[in-house]
Amino acid sequence: MSVDQAQIQMQRLMLRYPSGKTALSGVTLNINQGEFVYLVGESGAGKSSLLKMFYGGIRPSSGTLMVQGTDMRQAGDPKVRELRRHTGIIFQDHRLLFSRTVFENVALPLRVQGWKTERLIPRVRKVLSYVGLGDRLWSYPEALSGGEQQRVAIARAMTAKPAVILADEPTGNLDVDTARRVLDYLMDLNRQGATIIMATHDLHLLESHPGRVIQLHAGSLARGGS
Amino acid sequence: MKQPSGVIPDKVNLRLPGGFNLPPFGIQQVLALMIVCIALWAVGVIWLAMQGASQWVGSWQDEIRIHVYLHSTDAKKANNLQQKLEAVSDVGSVRQVSAQEAAVWMQSWLSDARMNQQELAKHLPVSFEISLTDGQSEFIFSDIREAATQFGAIVNEDEVDLAQAHHWMSQAGFLAGFASLILALAMALIISNTLRMTLLARSDEIHLMRLMGAQEWFVRMPFILEGMVLGAGAGVAAWFLLWPVVIGTGDWLSTMQVDLSSWGLLLPLLFGGSLVGTVGALIATAKVSSGEIPSN
Repeated sequence: MSVDQAQIQMQRLMLRYPSGKTALSGVTLNINQGEFVYLVGESGAGKSSLLKMFYGGIRPSSGTLMVQGTDMRQAGDPKVRELRRHTGIIFQDHRLLFSRTVFENVALPLRVQGWKTERLIPRVRKVLSYVGLGDRLWSYPEALSGGEQQRVAIARAMTAKPAVILADEPTGNLDVDTARRVLDYLMDLNRQGATIIMATHDLHLLESHPGRVIQLHAGSLARGGS
Repeated sequence: MKQPSGVIPDKVNLRLPGGFNLPPFGIQQVLALMIVCIALWAVGVIWLAMQGASQWVGSWQDEIRIHVYLHSTDAKKANNLQQKLEAVSDVGSVRQVSAQEAAVWMQSWLSDARMNQQELAKHLPVSFEISLTDGQSEFIFSDIREAATQFGAIVNEDEVDLAQAHHWMSQAGFLAGFASLILALAMALIISNTLRMTLLARSDEIHLMRLMGAQEWFVRMPFILEGMVLGAGAGVAAWFLLWPVVIGTGDWLSTMQVDLSSWGLLLPLLFGGSLVGTVGALIATAKVSSGEIPSN
């Protein structure tokens, strides 16, 4: 793909925290639409920081970062909100709301976007059926296993049909088989057109689920640049 | 208990307009409701007292007459004094009270002291009884006082004080308004503090909503609605608690021609409670923290 089709573009991207610690330094790379990207590297390499910058959780200190056509250094709150509505996020600890049903957890992105209940019910039912939890709509997350909870998190991330799904070590707390199943879902979403960017330590998954590997080391790009 | 997937539980549809969920009411909210209810009840009692005082003053204020006394040795100035008093604006009429009438009145006031009325009349001053068209006129009493002083007469200041009760009432009304304002501020801060605790407890949820691109008002609205409901609930409860006061004091107040009604306070307490609740919620959510701390 050409640079023009890049969904995420970075030029000499740098991130320095107020504490003075440099999390990312001089990262230049493009991620194209429809790619499945693994972000790998040791703890503290800058994977999570990079993911956070993709949804405006933190802003670059210098350099250029364009995400889905939005300049993340200049973007105001409305732009960042709009970008987040087109971005699905999956966390290692899934961050489900335990006081809400599975239905409500998955419906949250749609509620945020103002969907009416009648309209969102079929959509939520469909995505939960997709991840094999169609019969757990009204269960509470605490009644689910770790793998099921992560599948709910995947359903929540995909329910608003985002163009980009960011996954921060989604398999970190799962056993190998469950992790593979989670990867199967993400791969399938990728085949349907979503760009998947996944930070991970589970390098063995790369064998069964191949993708582009971008390796960070001490905040710099070690492998996989454009 | 697991429910069949085809059935939508009622609670899914029980939502506020805009798809908002009201945060659950816990012990903090109940405590805040009780405290705000007591404060609103105090405000209600203050305004009931104002209502009662206003009725009581109104029941006798219209009948107030001001008396001006001229020493009997200056009796020849009486006509000039009467003309001068009649010229004062907002004075309805000026009547010279005859010595005999004054003596009879004095006799009855002294509980039929059986004094010689002729003898008593000789020692009484020349009295004028002044009726007022507008007792609330700003300068009327100083004008009467000034006219009386010119002729060496004196004004019955006790009667002037009573006639000026409206002035005390307006001062009391100002104080009641000030007290209500202070209590409203305290109530708003109590509700704000309660909602802050709820906000802290739900910071994960707020963080999630923001990550999904929620508008600020979408995040704040459930808490503003909670503040509004809390204040309105406290207002209605306070209004119910006013009834024992109205009923309990009814007999005593009726002897003073005062008839309190708390119906007039229902809407002010309801909307006042909602308003302080909303203000408290706006204060609490002015800067909602969601724990979005950058980390690597």
